[in-house]
Amino acid sequence: MKVSLSWLSEYIDLPTTDPADLADALAGLGHEVEGYEVLEPAFRGVVVGKVLDIQPHPDADKIRVCTVTTGGEPEQIICGAWNFSEGAVVPVAVPGAVLGKDFEITRRDIRGVTSNGMICSSVELGLGDDADGIMVLDPDTPIGDDFAKHVALPDVVFDLSITPNRPDAMSMIGVARDLAALYGVNVRWPDVVVHPIDEQLTVDVSIEDPVGCRRFVAREVRAVELGDSPQWMQQRLRRAGVRAINNIVDISNYVMLELGQPTHTFDFERVGGGAIVVRRAKAGERLTTLDGITRELTEDDLVVADAAVASSLAGTMGGEDSEVSPTTHHVLVEAASWDPPTVLHMSRRHNLRSEASARFERGVDPNLPLLAADRVTQLIAELANGQPLSGVADVYPTTEQPHPISLPIAEVERILGIPLGADEVAGLLRRLGMEVSGDDPIEVQVPTNRPDLTRPIDLVEEVARLHGYDAFPETLPAGPGGGLTTEQRRQRRLRSVVEGAGFSEALTFSFHGTTELGMLGVGPDDIRSRAIEVKNPLREEESLLRTTLLPGLLKATRFNTSHGRRDVALYEFGKVFYDEEAPELTVVPEQPDHLGFVAVGALQGRPVDVYTATAVWRLVARQMGLPAADVASAHVPFLHPGRGADVLMDGTVIGFVGELHPAAARAYGLTGRVAVGEVAVAPIVRQPGLWELTEPSLFPPVQFDLSFEVPDTIPGGAILAAGRRAGGELVERIELFDEFSGGSLPEGVRAVGFRYTLRAPDRTLTNEEMGPVRASIIEAARQAGATLRGAN
Amino acid sequence: MPRSLRQAATNLAGLMDQLDTVLARAPEQIASASDLDALAAVETELVGRKSVVAQVRRSLGTLAAEERPRVGAAVQAAAGRLEVLLAERRSVLEREAEDRLLEDDRVDVTLAHLELGQGTRHLLTSTLEEVADIFVSIGYQVASGPEVETAYYNFDALNTPATHPARAESDTMYVDFGDPRDEMLLRTHTSPMQARYMEQHQPPVYVVVPGRTFRADTLDPTHSPVFHQIEGLAVDTSITFTDLKGTLHYFAQQFFGKDQQIKLIPHFFPFTEPSAEMHVSCFACDGSGCRVCSNSGWIELMGCGMVDPNVFEAVGYDPAEVSGFAFGVGAERLAMVRHGIRHIRHFYENDLRVLGQFV
Repeated sequence: MKVSLSWLSEYIDLPTTDPADLADALAGLGHEVEGYEVLEPAFRGVVVGKVLDIQPHPDADKIRVCTVTTGGEPEQIICGAWNFSEGAVVPVAVPGAVLGKDFEITRRDIRGVTSNGMICSSVELGLGDDADGIMVLDPDTPIGDDFAKHVALPDVVFDLSITPNRPDAMSMIGVARDLAALYGVNVRWPDVVVHPIDEQLTVDVSIEDPVGCRRFVAREVRAVELGDSPQWMQQRLRRAGVRAINNIVDISNYVMLELGQPTHTFDFERVGGGAIVVRRAKAGERLTTLDGITRELTEDDLVVADAAVASSLAGTMGGEDSEVSPTTHHVLVEAASWDPPTVLHMSRRHNLRSEASARFERGVDPNLPLLAADRVTQLIAELANGQPLSGVADVYPTTEQPHPISLPIAEVERILGIPLGADEVAGLLRRLGMEVSGDDPIEVQVPTNRPDLTRPIDLVEEVARLHGYDAFPETLPAGPGGGLTTEQRRQRRLRSVVEGAGFSEALTFSFHGTTELGMLGVGPDDIRSRAIEVKNPLREEESLLRTTLLPGLLKATRFNTSHGRRDVALYEFGKVFYDEEAPELTVVPEQPDHLGFVAVGALQGRPVDVYTATAVWRLVARQMGLPAADVASAHVPFLHPGRGADVLMDGTVIGFVGELHPAAARAYGLTGRVAVGEVAVAPIVRQPGLWELTEPSLFPPVQFDLSFEVPDTIPGGAILAAGRRAGGELVERIELFDEFSGGSLPEGVRAVGFRYTLRAPDRTLTNEEMGPVRASIIEAARQAGATLRGAN
Repeated sequence: MPRSLRQAATNLAGLMDQLDTVLARAPEQIASASDLDALAAVETELVGRKSVVAQVRRSLGTLAAEERPRVGAAVQAAAGRLEVLLAERRSVLEREAEDRLLEDDRVDVTLAHLELGQGTRHLLTSTLEEVADIFVSIGYQVASGPEVETAYYNFDALNTPATHPARAESDTMYVDFGDPRDEMLLRTHTSPMQARYMEQHQPPVYVVVPGRTFRADTLDPTHSPVFHQIEGLAVDTSITFTDLKGTLHYFAQQFFGKDQQIKLIPHFFPFTEPSAEMHVSCFACDGSGCRVCSNSGWIELMGCGMVDPNVFEAVGYDPAEVSGFAFGVGAERLAMVRHGIRHIRHFYENDLRVLGQFV
């Protein structure tokens, strides 16, 4: 909401007009200042003048010669505008005046006639956008006055963001009321007086739905003359960000901004003889609203209707048929109190957010409509020559009273942490217009303009707000400790391990488009095909929640390669989501943490391939102290059929590693081998068992190499495992030192060489002892399908 | 004197003369050996089997008993002197030989033939970890919760009315899962963990909850459909507004620096009362006003407040017995403010040129 200082000052005498101080004060009250603009006049030396005489120009048809007084001797001024006549009071830029930055007004000849200045339009004065005519001022503006002060310049406009709990502050009076409470001064309400003619109004109001409509006030004004509203009103509306339309609409808007009560004006002739009914709409009933849209109504909509048809959507927008128009003479003024949820739903349903609905859906004081109706009536009489009829139709089934809250003084200190006595608390609340009685607890009567205050805690907040958040001291409580859990520490360690291997952490979105899983080649039997759908995605790319981290990582990899990076290694640690019954007694779906990685190009100086992927898992297993971690050749749909593996922990598959299938790589725009992997985090970071030190042996190791011929159908890992089993506790290490095929080897067979390191904890191993051990390792390998090379 | 003895005496006298000559020439001879091979030849000549020293030693047996000690001492001294000279020269030549080898081994160290690659942690992760650690340092624990969440925990338990605009599909992303009566969504803040955590723990509660959050936003410089928050919650028998203020000031000083000022400004959130927005003094201009802080001297950082009694009631705490504060801060916001990042896309493009800057 835009609040101009000049308008605000009509309701409060502020102790300061410094914009920065006022901005701080407003923010301190909880009205966020999104910015403020200092308005300076875009002119100098412009004064109020009166046109005494107008003559045609002897040599030009489109301009006229005006005789104008600015308090002294009348002078002649040439003017091209035609929207005024003799007697008009106008802004005059006299010789020496400056418009804009540097347009200096001088005496000059215009087609042979001297012009001693210029009569100005609002555009020329930087005050508006009406270039068609000059500004015509109120006739009683004092001639010769400095024009600037009649358009309230200089001025400051604050752009406030009023929080949704404070509908009472969505007006000049409301803001003034808060500032008055802060500064301890009074609010000056407008003097609302209606002088009716001697004729009773005839409107008849009935409320069929007292839930939706808490109060309906109507007045009638006759003989209304539609026209422009006066400059001062247009100026105030403009600075509040509201466009001037005509005097009737402007008055309604003006009163809404002034008091916070939206009102509506109908053409009385067009609301069926003034029999007003407030009712729910009939299903299928239609209403064309002021924006020209014909809307089909539902039984949840609340309408103001005449005997036959709906005339407006309650509190939201008026109807086109009953709109005040140039032919209107008789105006019906409505000021009502609408049920906030009803208006909220209506404005949502019809996608119709108006200044009125914004206030009603938050809650407008039901004791305000009568004042607002009178204020509108008063202004129509003053500014549109209207004649108010006697009487007011005021249907108010249940009068809203201030509501009581009992506040124990100790509660204030318990929540705020500072000892404020009953007197101080009561004093602060009274400044907000509350009646306070009693000592402890104090009994507080909350005025009806504050629907947000219903509980003691709400009053505590008001006390804190007026006391000023800045005035509170600071204290620092400490919790009982405990820090990170073992699992949380191991999660961080897991990240560090993967980072140590050369992978950088990526964060990608948790959703992807519907084609993504197809690009990977995930089939319907795969758990990864069971993606949860987003109901209201803004974009196609947000349609499904991810079941694997790969799509995001592959796209991030592609982003980097497409920006000229050859070697890319990324990992992500994040949740995936499966559309299946949650395993525990919780309604949310399973959403385990996964760790995924992708590498292309080279990593640690070596071209990336499947062994990059298995090495990552081996490193993780080693560095995280995982027992029984392994890989097993497996078919994973989006992996290279010969270069993919399941990741195993204690025999359970917890993920996959391998090379991405070339088709999937192509789908993501990646070339060359792509190492990928993804594992569930939970089994990795689970607290490991405690272990004791294994004393390093003081005795020398025995090393020997064995080379086997192994059919391609037998995994080398099986030969390795066989050796480990056969060697038992003596085995310290078994390393691969060679693997090759071709040459003299038969088709389908490769040679694999291992270096065995054996060591005993308590003795030097002798040749006699090693002979049988070596033989049993060879035998175990033979049983696993390998043949010792060079043995025959 | 028998002839043989006389002859021996004459020979000895000649040998002793030669020994003197050898000793006199030896330094120059040894110094002129330009490498270890040449030195070996000199060594043979000076102290080898055919050397003068060896001849004198061999002749000792033929000498008269009274001459033997004098000649023996002389040859011993001469041999010792020669060994020292040879050893000194050998050590010099050995060092020179090694120096030549090392010189041959010279490489251009300004070129890198090996890069040890270490990845980096994402700035948002390290930011969340840093914030968590700051709170761990004052006794907090760290928790995490589901990202697909029920509307109950995301809104209802947090005192958010059924009509609240944040529930609209224009703000919140809903998902199709499970029982249609349980509205399921992508959590819009980390606050649902307030309720979940309190349901599972009894006071005192001091916990922070880092995590991923979602809104129906399109990507612009300061918004992303996916973002990250860290929630803080302290509930105890005597937590007050001054505790909130002190705790956030401690956090700001730990995170931004010890001179960091903070300001709380009244605000409104359904789940806190009183509520506030926490602003920090602009570190870019020390509060005097600049582009970073839109000339205000302050930067809005997070929402916070005292836990609303309705939230306590929803989780089964007695609001008359306990009080608490809560806050929620965006990881992106923290990182952008601290590192001068002007577009949120930098967090989600995963450009290694960006990721690698934050180690």
